[in-house]
Amino acid sequence: MSHKLIMAIAIAASTSLGSAAQAQTDYPLTIENCGQSVTFDAPPQNAVALGQNSAEIMLMLGLEDRMAATAFWPNTVLPELAEANAEVELLSVEFPSLESVLAVQPDFVAAMLVTLMGPDSKVAKREDFESLGIPTYLSPSACSVTEVSTDIYGARSELWTMDQLYKEISDLARIFDVTDRGETVIADLKAREAALRGRFEDRDDLTFLFWFSSPSSEDDAYLAGGNGPSTYIAELLGGSNAVKAASEWPTLGWEGIMATDPTVIVAAQVDRKRWSLDEAENKIAFLKSDPIVSQMEAVQKGRIVVMPGAATNASIQTLYGAEEVAKQLEALDLAE
Amino acid sequence: MSAGVVDHGTMRLALLTLVSATVLAVAIAVATAIGDYTIGLGTVSLAITNGLGLSDADLPPIEESVVWDLRLSRALVAALAGAGLALCGAILQALLRNPLAEPFVLGISAGASTGAVCVIVLGIGAGSLTLSAGAFAGAFAAFGVVAVLSNGATSGPNHTILAGVAASQLFNALTSYIVTTSGNAEQARNVMFWLLGSFGGVRWPDFQLLLVIVPLGLALCIYMARALDAFTFGDEDAAALGVPVGRIRLALFAVTAVMTATIVSMVGAIGFVGLVVPHAARFVVGPMHMRLLPACAIIGAIFMVTADIVSRVIVAQQTVPIGVVTALVGVPFFAIILYRARPQA
Repeated sequence: MSHKLIMAIAIAASTSLGSAAQAQTDYPLTIENCGQSVTFDAPPQNAVALGQNSAEIMLMLGLEDRMAATAFWPNTVLPELAEANAEVELLSVEFPSLESVLAVQPDFVAAMLVTLMGPDSKVAKREDFESLGIPTYLSPSACSVTEVSTDIYGARSELWTMDQLYKEISDLARIFDVTDRGETVIADLKAREAALRGRFEDRDDLTFLFWFSSPSSEDDAYLAGGNGPSTYIAELLGGSNAVKAASEWPTLGWEGIMATDPTVIVAAQVDRKRWSLDEAENKIAFLKSDPIVSQMEAVQKGRIVVMPGAATNASIQTLYGAEEVAKQLEALDLAE
Repeated sequence: MSAGVVDHGTMRLALLTLVSATVLAVAIAVATAIGDYTIGLGTVSLAITNGLGLSDADLPPIEESVVWDLRLSRALVAALAGAGLALCGAILQALLRNPLAEPFVLGISAGASTGAVCVIVLGIGAGSLTLSAGAFAGAFAAFGVVAVLSNGATSGPNHTILAGVAASQLFNALTSYIVTTSGNAEQARNVMFWLLGSFGGVRWPDFQLLLVIVPLGLALCIYMARALDAFTFGDEDAAALGVPVGRIRLALFAVTAVMTATIVSMVGAIGFVGLVVPHAARFVVGPMHMRLLPACAIIGAIFMVTADIVSRVIVAQQTVPIGVVTALVGVPFFAIILYRARPQA
């Protein structure tokens, strides 16, 4: 009873405030998403999040009791979301089967990548859900290259920014009728983004090399380039990406890497256990011990920072990664 | 195979046909009945009769769709893909008189992979060119390379298989080059998933396409069965028997290329089936193509449907690439056949 009473008071209070009343979603709600119109008759009660970023956004919006399941987690969940995430069924940390998604009776499916829900996906296509009357949502970051995306990640023609993510959070908040919560989350992230930008003057002599991983120290390294989230981080912190390749994920041999002569090397901590150089500490050990690579100025001056690998993907973790790098830059007296 | 056992042989063949058709039907039924989504057998059968228009039961739409749109279409595509790939293997083995010949060895699958990877990683033709179209183009490019390298389709069988090996190497290298220079780790993983094959993306339109391609290919090959028998004795003997060697070879290569390209572009490069099923079929019905080709088709179908069931249930809530299962399931199966066939060989 008392709970209902509190709810009633809360609803009354919110409707009495003009701005909060506007924040309520009117159903049916139609959203334009990646070139498709999706209509919701009511807020979802049993949502499935395909991909870590979709799941983490829903958890940030406090929707764990309205989530049926999640799948595809390349990294570990953000620590502050771990408790909420534990309440949601995990189908698979890898690509789930379509049947296992349907088996939880979803009334909404959101996906982070076109490999999870796109025209050529082996997991699921949007039509699979739509023919059953289950609305879908695809991350704007994933389909920002073209509307009919046959390219999985693509080389972006424009720099990725958090704006695509704010759009995603705002859309999901409207879909679930938690617009206020969405605005709070976006305001918080925007404030943190602005704070970061204010902490660093733009300077030409600050370049970053983002080393994601390598199969072995003899192999070419997977770097982050192009107009992807890593370049966004570099520019947010007043610098630029040392790798000028248009490709979002170029690979380069160490001779080529040394030629880029970065001011700072960002060693990604990748949580999967595929290659030993996924681990940031192994990356640092190699940088410091290899007789040739250790001659790089960034290594000589100890300008190596660590960032979660998840930050290199277009996600809320990108901002967390930028904050990690910023903290370490200041310790290196590079924040001017 | 003496003349005295013809009647007995015909009886045996009829029995084999009945048994294998039953086994295939059972395999498809099992594939339709089991999966991550637990659905009662009554609902499963009603969903099928609903789909066929024989009943009008009111079922939960999700369950009906899982049975009809996901499982049944998938099982039927697997059956036709298995039949088609096995058939291609048998044709190439006869044409090239080489027991190792199959679409893989000839580089057709490798070409299809390169075409698909071009679309996945480079985004070539994004929008107008789909992944399937890319794979199809790649398969034909590989076919062209093999034809040029082997100096037209009239040169010797060893020449063609060497050309195939070279084409395989070329296209595999191109695929690796594209993946390593343009892809990130997750992308490489996705490409690998595709290269190993998957029935996850198939739906009814895929079945409709294969329902045209594979039976047509089978009919054409059966029409040329006598010529194929002649090829196994060598080109000169075949020519002496009045077979237009060059023309028939070209026609059969083209049939094989179309079938392989269609299947590979749909479900990825699934190895092993084209290589092994023809050998298994030969143990059962002998080397004459009039019997061998239908036997390949039905054994290939049974094998692929079974392998797909395994790929779906072996890891809960996740699908293992079908290429992994065809090899893991197929090799022990093949070993048994090899072992049991030894005294007769």
